[in-house]
Amino acid sequence: MEANTDTAQLDRMFQALADGQRRAMVDRLSRGPASVKELAYPTSMALPSALKHLAVLESAGLVLSEKVGRVRTFRIQSAALADIENWVTTRKLNLNSAFDRLDAAMAAFPEEQS
Amino acid sequence: MTHHSTFTIERRLAGSAAHGFSFWAQPELKRRWSSCHPDWRELEYHMDFRVGGGEISRMVTPDGVEHDVISQYQDIEVGRRIVYAYRMIVDGQAASASLATVEFADTSSGSLMTYTEQVALLTGAQSASALQFGTETGFERLVLEIERDLVLSH
Repeated sequence: MEANTDTAQLDRMFQALADGQRRAMVDRLSRGPASVKELAYPTSMALPSALKHLAVLESAGLVLSEKVGRVRTFRIQSAALADIENWVTTRKLNLNSAFDRLDAAMAAFPEEQS
Repeated sequence: MTHHSTFTIERRLAGSAAHGFSFWAQPELKRRWSSCHPDWRELEYHMDFRVGGGEISRMVTPDGVEHDVISQYQDIEVGRRIVYAYRMIVDGQAASASLATVEFADTSSGSLMTYTEQVALLTGAQSASALQFGTETGFERLVLEIERDLVLSH
């Protein structure tokens, strides 16, 4: 079960970061907290779609939001990123990259040659 | 408190199980895919593929952090399975100790490789996570890594 949960979380993270506009938001938030307006403005994105993108990032565990008065502020989930679980996530990413290279190396050196 | 995790990665490979196995067993073939940091400086590399033998890799990142991976083979079934124990040391601190099992099975179109790792995360993982993710550049690296992974998997 634990592995499935990890996979689902990883899927959400991959999907969240598969979008260029969302990556730009993550990039912006990695420099410091920002409001929806501040996040939407540089890409002239409409506020509702900015919120939609931020919701995706939030469910992927990449950003956190907090409402103070009428302003919702988003920030990078640095606690989560420093969290020990991410060590495992990073290891899985690294292993998957390594296995991509393995696949490529096997194709470059077919059976009869090895 | 020690944190444990178990995860599995399954990959379909274009070649046979025996061929996939050889890319883990032969040092010159293994090195074609296992090292991925062209900007890291290698201090030591050694591989001795037999039960009781192991693999040692000591590397330094451009900002001077040493990453060591020290493995010992526990069980080898030629063409089918490799079980090894390994520990990762980052900046002189033990970050993790794992038992990894790699299994190879022929399929109609090639083979299926199943990698299972049981990991105990140690003190060093916390500080290593902070090292990797604590900075903006660290996070950008993670995003790049994920992007690269997405590109390769499509």
